[in-house]
Amino acid sequence: MNRPVPAKRILPSKEATLFKDLLNHYESRQLKKGLKTADQILKKFPEHGETICMKGLVLTHMGRREEGVDLVKQGMRLDLTSHICWHVFGLIQKGEKNYEEALKSYTQALKFDRDNLNILRDAAHLQTQLRNFDALVETRYTILRLRPNFRQHWIALAVAYHLNGNLIEGKKVLEQYERTLKNIPDYDVDHSETLLYHVRLLEDLGEFKEALDILDNNAKQRRILDRTSIMEYRARLLTKSNAAEAESAWRALIDHNPDSYEYYNGYLSQKGLSLDPKVAEALDILQSLSSQIPRAAAPKRLALTLAQGPAFEQLVKPYILLALQKGIPSLFSDLKSLYSLTKPEKQQIIQQLLETELNSIPDIEPSTYLWTLYYLAQHHSYLGDHAKALDILDQAIQHTPTLPDLLMFKGRVLKRCGDYLSAARSINEARLLDGQDRFLNTKTGKYLLRAGMVNEAIGILGMFTKKDAVSPGTDLEEMQSFLYLLEEGNAHRINKKLNLALKKYMAAVKVFETFEDDQYDFHGYNLRKFTVNIYLNLITWEDHLRSHRAYVTAAMAASRIFLAVHDDSSLAKSATIVPELTEAEKKAKKKAKKAASKAEEKKGQQQQSVNEDKGLEAPPKDDDPEGIKLIASSDGLETAARMLRPLTNLLTTANVDLGQKERMEIWLLSYDVAIRRRKLLQALTFLTHAQTLDSSYPGLHLRLVHLHHFIRTTYKDKTPPAPIGPAFIEGVKQLGVPDENQVSLETYNMQYLQKHTSDTHSKCSAEAVVACAKAMRILGSSVGEVEELLFGSLRDNAKNQTPRRGCLTIQIALEMLELLTEMNSERVDEFRQRCQARFERSTVFGTDEEITKLRESVLATPDNGQKDELL
Amino acid sequence: MNVRPIKVDDLIGMQACNLQNLPENYTMRYYLYHAMTWPSLSYVAEDHKGRIVGYILAKMEEDLKDDEEPHGHVTSISVLRPYRRLGLAKKLMVQSQEAMASVHHAAYVSLHVRKSNRAALSLYRDTLGFTVKDIEKGYYADGEDAYAMCLSLKP
Repeated sequence: MNRPVPAKRILPSKEATLFKDLLNHYESRQLKKGLKTADQILKKFPEHGETICMKGLVLTHMGRREEGVDLVKQGMRLDLTSHICWHVFGLIQKGEKNYEEALKSYTQALKFDRDNLNILRDAAHLQTQLRNFDALVETRYTILRLRPNFRQHWIALAVAYHLNGNLIEGKKVLEQYERTLKNIPDYDVDHSETLLYHVRLLEDLGEFKEALDILDNNAKQRRILDRTSIMEYRARLLTKSNAAEAESAWRALIDHNPDSYEYYNGYLSQKGLSLDPKVAEALDILQSLSSQIPRAAAPKRLALTLAQGPAFEQLVKPYILLALQKGIPSLFSDLKSLYSLTKPEKQQIIQQLLETELNSIPDIEPSTYLWTLYYLAQHHSYLGDHAKALDILDQAIQHTPTLPDLLMFKGRVLKRCGDYLSAARSINEARLLDGQDRFLNTKTGKYLLRAGMVNEAIGILGMFTKKDAVSPGTDLEEMQSFLYLLEEGNAHRINKKLNLALKKYMAAVKVFETFEDDQYDFHGYNLRKFTVNIYLNLITWEDHLRSHRAYVTAAMAASRIFLAVHDDSSLAKSATIVPELTEAEKKAKKKAKKAASKAEEKKGQQQQSVNEDKGLEAPPKDDDPEGIKLIASSDGLETAARMLRPLTNLLTTANVDLGQKERMEIWLLSYDVAIRRRKLLQALTFLTHAQTLDSSYPGLHLRLVHLHHFIRTTYKDKTPPAPIGPAFIEGVKQLGVPDENQVSLETYNMQYLQKHTSDTHSKCSAEAVVACAKAMRILGSSVGEVEELLFGSLRDNAKNQTPRRGCLTIQIALEMLELLTEMNSERVDEFRQRCQARFERSTVFGTDEEITKLRESVLATPDNGQKDELL
Repeated sequence: MNVRPIKVDDLIGMQACNLQNLPENYTMRYYLYHAMTWPSLSYVAEDHKGRIVGYILAKMEEDLKDDEEPHGHVTSISVLRPYRRLGLAKKLMVQSQEAMASVHHAAYVSLHVRKSNRAALSLYRDTLGFTVKDIEKGYYADGEDAYAMCLSLKP
């Protein structure tokens, strides 16, 4: 498209040369020179749009962002048909991570200069980032047409087809490319990667024979260099094509790396066996492998999974005794997957074995004795007998007070009992035994956060964070520590500082946004490096990223806070009331402020060097460190919906690794948000999904009551407005709640309660009680009725029972307590005391004063600690 | 424990493992850069539930001086404290070294360790066979010196 160049853009030859200089200065990031040159042109031609845009771009790189962006916009307005102006604008938008708008600008730029390689390349990266694969194929095709002698342009087109699901075209391009190749140097890593991509492409297409041919030929000629990949592809392809050599291929992999479980699985299944305990032959094979490769741990351990009865006893004895002699701390976590509630044979054999071992005193070595006690403590705690575990641990600690592992596990048992404070104290004692170890330090920080002791935790964690960071928390956030962000968020939530909790959860969500942005540079990079296989895996990973547990936890916790604030706006107001600070807190705040201003100062000093490139990314700004604006924001529900959407999308489209309970909670929370946003059909869809998954789930029952109550109170007897209303009402009927004219919601609620609590083996009776209590509250039952139900649930189970599904847990009891508090029940303290009696060791049911007092002793030195021993 | 080459899905677990164990930490971009450039050099150890309990993050040295042979570099290696004494560090290291030699023709592998970190020094020297080649003054951000260690990969 050759348009006439507008007169206002044409510069006289002197300035035209200057403008070329300006572009070169920018390309080589000589920013200071670039700025000077731009000003020279603008002195004579102050209205020259392209120069103004370039000046704005240079200034942005120099860190004068606001000024720069203003100039770019100004320059744009002066010359709307310049590809340079649009390109610059696109760059700025890309820097702001506004990929969609940036792509629009690039598309505009291409209208005025359709063969511009730089712009085409950037556009391709944006199209990939936005998963706009149809357009990507076209762009890559154009680039290849313009410059067919660049190797990477061929690969890029093949990958574009691949991403767009057109593997056959991808294969054609790749084959055409390979035919053009001449003189491939020996040991060319790039070519090796390309060939491995070719093999994968054929495997994905189901052309196993062709894939094997290419693999074998090129491996022989040393063109594919990656031995592990060659062997893995070979074993897999032979297996898929039912070839007899598959067995020896897997066997070779076992020799290559005898600690990979996958290889043993491959080998066994090739022999028609699996890790199924019923087949004795598999056990023989594993034992023979184990004697052939004595250093390999995997076959010994896999044999334990397979063996039963006396065979198991015979194998597990030397396995355990050797580990105890060596003092291997992970022995229990290695073996616990053999434990089973329904088939307790293996744990019984192990327990007996260990108890016999203990009784062989005085023959037993002192260190073996200790590790035996350590194992038994873990064994009993895992099976629910925490008191016994603590007895054993105390015995061991008395024997050797200096083994951190014992104190660490004692902390864990105490945590399981709900005594978060003594738990933190025990972990801290372990930490004091080895102050150089960051693992012990991190655990202490985590346990302090579990106990709600945020400042103390930060103090401990700060021993290992960067000294020049604004605060330990800032460093951990920059280093993307989910453990820190989520645990501190939970701690603030326990302490009822919802604004601070929300801030941390949102920071964790932000890390995932950063992970998504991180892929951008690799859209070009991997093609230059020819590492295509791992790149395709990167794209898949990014697409499923938000099913990661840390995202699910953070997004749901943040959404719950937004919901709570929506339902009760006083929660946001109470966040703005600044509490009286203690002396220690004042000091800490002063220190943080000082550190922050120091960091700012340092940044300022860096800005002195004008030529330094600050890039185009907008620097993060935080004018709301306490999350006070965040929690009061009017679009909280929209934010929640935006965070939950990727989760519901993944649940319906992808095979994600999430448990049933997590899935249920995602659907139900998404309903909560949708119904409050009056997105009726969405709300209905979410509940339908939940119902398909588990129709008797207590949380679902609560939502069904909520939905019907909502319809009754919002629309009275009318149908919500068409076109959605009638479809919605029809869909609601399908959910199966009886017509209110026949059975009232109150009766429906009571029926559910009866059904799910009368049977003591019901898997969720305590949760059913909570759900019904909350439903009663929605339906306007009196405080007294709810109290009666909740107090009743404390009566049901005898205390110190082995935990089983459905019984009252500390977590559920806390939820009940919270509900009573919300309803202003006068029996809150009574309930608290009853819970305390029920969960004797727990510290979560204390009053605020009691907990504050207990907290003071947590970080006391061990000597003092023993004096006011709480156990 | 299962020892195997990394997948992209492992990187978050590796980062978490590193943050729990070591004072030198990196953002995800740096892990991605390793995986995307040298996909065959890094390995993980995982427990029965698939949790990462140890890893080696490795690369090839990119800016070779004129007289330098191609060589690998261990950016970070660690095993969670409860999973020590299983020989995992050695297993991870052996796999990574094999890949450095076979894919990239590395002549040797290098790494840095804090002068004060005696536990790590003994692991590299006594268990893994590295020798101290040099001391790099002020190598770490906080000013501490590093031992530059290396191990030949020639048979």
